[in-house]
Amino acid sequence: MAKWGMVIDLDKCTGCQACTTACSMENNTLPGESWQDVLFYNAGEYPSAQMKWLPRPCMQCENPSCVHVCPTRATYKDPDAGGIVFVDWNKCIGCKYCMIACPYGVRFYADEKPLIEPDIRETFPSDNGQLWSPPYQNPEEDWRRGIGIQPPGVVSKCTFCYHKVRLAPEGVADLDEDNPEVKEYVPACVRTCAPKARYFGDLDNPESQVNQLIGDKHGVRLKDHTGNRPQVYYLGAGAGVPAFTPADREHDA
Amino acid sequence: MKLFQTLLNRRRFLQSSAAVGASAGAVTAGITGLTGLTLVEQARAQTPRGETVVTKNVCAQCPARCGIDVYTTDGSVHAIYGDTGNPIANGKLCPKGHLGSYFLYDPDRFKGPMKRTNPNKGRDEDPGFVPISWDEALDTVAERLNDLRRRGESHRFSMFYGRGWGASDAGMQGTFGQLYGTPNAAIGHSSMCADGSKKAKHATDGNNSYNSYDYRNTNYLLIIGASFLEAFRPYNNVMQMWGHMRSKSPKTRVTTVDVRMNPTMAASDRALYIKPGTDGAFALAIAHVILTEGLWDRDFVGDFTNPNLQFVAGRRVSPSVFNEKWVHGLADWWNEEVKDRTPEWAESVTSIKAADIRRTAVEFGSTRPAVALFERGATGHSNGTYNGMAIHSLNALVGSLFAEGGLGYQMGPSYGSLPADADDYLDDYARNGAWREQPRIDMKGTERWPMVGNMMQECAPNHLAGDPYKLDTAMFFYTNPIWSAPNPQVWEEALKDVFVIDTSPFPGETAMYADIVLPDSTYLERLQDIPTYPFEGWPMAALRVPAVEPIHDTKMYGDVIIELGKRIEGPTADYYRELDNIENVVRHLAAGFADDPGDNGVNDFETWREKGVWYKKPYQWRQIRGEFYEWDGQRYARQMSEEEVQQQLLKTPSGKFEFRSGYLEEHADYIEREMGIPRARAGLVQWVEPVHTGGDGDLHFVTPKTPLHAEGRGANIPHNIAIHQPIVGGRNTVYLEVHPQTAKERGIRNGDRVRITSDLGSIEAECRYVASHRADTLVLPFEYGHWAQGRWAKDRGPGNSSEITANVSDPISGLASYYTGKVRLERA
Repeated sequence: MAKWGMVIDLDKCTGCQACTTACSMENNTLPGESWQDVLFYNAGEYPSAQMKWLPRPCMQCENPSCVHVCPTRATYKDPDAGGIVFVDWNKCIGCKYCMIACPYGVRFYADEKPLIEPDIRETFPSDNGQLWSPPYQNPEEDWRRGIGIQPPGVVSKCTFCYHKVRLAPEGVADLDEDNPEVKEYVPACVRTCAPKARYFGDLDNPESQVNQLIGDKHGVRLKDHTGNRPQVYYLGAGAGVPAFTPADREHDA
Repeated sequence: MKLFQTLLNRRRFLQSSAAVGASAGAVTAGITGLTGLTLVEQARAQTPRGETVVTKNVCAQCPARCGIDVYTTDGSVHAIYGDTGNPIANGKLCPKGHLGSYFLYDPDRFKGPMKRTNPNKGRDEDPGFVPISWDEALDTVAERLNDLRRRGESHRFSMFYGRGWGASDAGMQGTFGQLYGTPNAAIGHSSMCADGSKKAKHATDGNNSYNSYDYRNTNYLLIIGASFLEAFRPYNNVMQMWGHMRSKSPKTRVTTVDVRMNPTMAASDRALYIKPGTDGAFALAIAHVILTEGLWDRDFVGDFTNPNLQFVAGRRVSPSVFNEKWVHGLADWWNEEVKDRTPEWAESVTSIKAADIRRTAVEFGSTRPAVALFERGATGHSNGTYNGMAIHSLNALVGSLFAEGGLGYQMGPSYGSLPADADDYLDDYARNGAWREQPRIDMKGTERWPMVGNMMQECAPNHLAGDPYKLDTAMFFYTNPIWSAPNPQVWEEALKDVFVIDTSPFPGETAMYADIVLPDSTYLERLQDIPTYPFEGWPMAALRVPAVEPIHDTKMYGDVIIELGKRIEGPTADYYRELDNIENVVRHLAAGFADDPGDNGVNDFETWREKGVWYKKPYQWRQIRGEFYEWDGQRYARQMSEEEVQQQLLKTPSGKFEFRSGYLEEHADYIEREMGIPRARAGLVQWVEPVHTGGDGDLHFVTPKTPLHAEGRGANIPHNIAIHQPIVGGRNTVYLEVHPQTAKERGIRNGDRVRITSDLGSIEAECRYVASHRADTLVLPFEYGHWAQGRWAKDRGPGNSSEITANVSDPISGLASYYTGKVRLERA
């Protein structure tokens, strides 16, 4: 079985957020429930300022702190599913311990005050136990893996689009969207990335392009000191979490 | 309610029961929690899915025209991805593209045709719409038009369009006007869009068009005021090329010039902040250095007769000692303009350091191929055309026009003829009626605006003044000037006594003034042709194929025109009966592919429908080391004569790239009168001081588009609103971006509500400190401030920036000066 990994090249990423919207629509997340967010950081002052951005999916850690703290084993890492970390919505009680334990801030509890008013959940209400039912809902659903639209009161997160990835041919080294044979199995954020800043493949296969890139371009994992050992690697000058203060706080009086 | 749900879940947790069907497989060591807690009857596992159909379509959220694959299962559209077979999309999309399902399922869409019952019009007036049948709606409009025609006042009917897609929608307006008898049948929004860049190219190389680009082979990009990584079209493809350029060998080097920090500036090798409206001065200094350092492309430009001669700052050269190749007026340009445009001079105008200008010029001039590109940042000012000409001149100096890795223009598709020729259906009124003596309502092509393509922003003031006349009836397609025009308050007044027909599927501001609504179908429901915008030069035309039948009682705009045409008296009706419907029109267009099959095998309507796009590479022409060649089927081998080059490529009076523009010289009197430029100098590519608008404000005000700006719809899409302005945390609104020093001087704290004031009035916004901007420039991304458009858009965010933007335009191109306003800032 493959161990799925993602590589994000920050030298090519343009910060456009297509990954964010592709994910939102593929996984029917709510506005603001961005499983795949892009964070922006500003530093310095005119005329020598800098701005950086960091696309942030779930890191699908090899040693996930969220799994350690879950009291119901709703969140789990599945080695038979590429090492992806899932939330079983049949078991999750919405206690949010995992959200606190996650060093990367990539878990979401959407059953609260909406980011955008009027509440889209009231525009597209559900009658089948989901939080909401948009007319464009993806027909794929598997609550055991947190796929589909969640019931009220549970935590949600990126699944590496497992509903797509699970269909990949056995033994494939890379899920490259430019290969028509596999493009339908590529996670939405990777598939749509216009500058091709993202790659997806088998970290257990030394022949994979993701391993080649990690090797050649000195891939790094975020916050490695936590021991979480992400399956997401970053490439490029300054890859890592910028130490900047968020733009909205830096100059607070 | 929420609390109750949470309690339910807690209880579910306590009611431990055996896990069924869940292969939890939690293997991580050290877990001591409970296992297998679930309710059997609530456990939901994988569900089977119905059959999924993928249809070809074209995104409609910006001009780029990305081919999309629309995924529909059991009659519901649930995913949109880039079409792998479409040369613009290549399987990719920008952030807007995926949100397209929202257009189809927008809960605020009009459900069918309607008429107004409240005669009063205004922001706070409920139109009192009542549903009517399509027959009643079309009969009402036709009767009105026939009546105007009978009275000899058909010129008082105008048709406005914004985002036209091709022969099957906005492309039909011109013909309708010709048959019906109005000069106002196709008033486009181009003067509120980007006519400045087209006119700059028209004036220098004779092509009134945007460029095609060969980014794949470019080694240097000089980007000036173009928001390249946010809004430059085709945005999706531009980002694909960015990924390529920044990782190929050699890596494409990028210098970006802009008035503000943005993703393009941040991602470039060099970011240069410029004072708004001074881009031309920067470009002239770049040209100065290229010439004095001897870096120009001799094969394209030409050379001195004597190798010892050179351009020396401040010193004239004799035109007789320079042999020009494909340029016209170089020595003259040097003597009358460029010789004194030193980097030091430019620093005093632009605020960019002379050393940075010199470094950029040497890099740009010594890296081949190199491209200089620009958009509204440079052209949205009174001096916009001259700014653009100065920048485009750099492409001539380094020989990148029509070169590999350079830029060219766009070829059109091999369409078949329409089912009927409109010329055969003109009656005497259409040929000789009184309407033919009337100017357009926007005064395009008159002494007032002799060089423009359109002047939509003038229509409301002209109507109010009754000069040249009053409009009677106006139809709007994909445009909303009552909100988006500079000083749109005038439109709110003007449209009160005009019979307004809106065709948008959405309840926009225009619809609030509409007397009749003929709602278009959304793009996922339409069949229509989509020829490409300038892209890579070779011809291409995509096709929208409906993913679903219209889910409401809507009608595609092209079919509305046809049905309306069938109701016009005289031979006009016969013409539209021949067209019959849009599918018939599209089938006739596709017939042209039979003799010219696309590279992907598309040769008729059925294959076009299946593949979604017809295209044929390569671009027909290439300039190689100062000679022009035509493609002979194998390679660029057939050398072109000077006459052929003039006819096909450098379409200026001289057949060369003109540093002294023959086109502008034809209008020298106008330019002298309107701009105060001595007529003898009118043709020169030159520095002209911008005339800022807005009154005595001390701050520049710019209103750029973000990557999520979805042409009037972004404000009503919750997922768009949630991430609209990420660079400063704008996640539910759009903030005014202010340098902290500028704010603090005015006692404004981060997060304060502020008032932005020009001589037109004030709008309010929330301030966000951005230390990476210029202290003299306020940035407010253009999106919000709607008083209609739907439940999410209405009253969201800061005020509408257009309301404090004066209706002043570049006299040459007619482009509205959106980015040249001066304002004052204070706490609200």
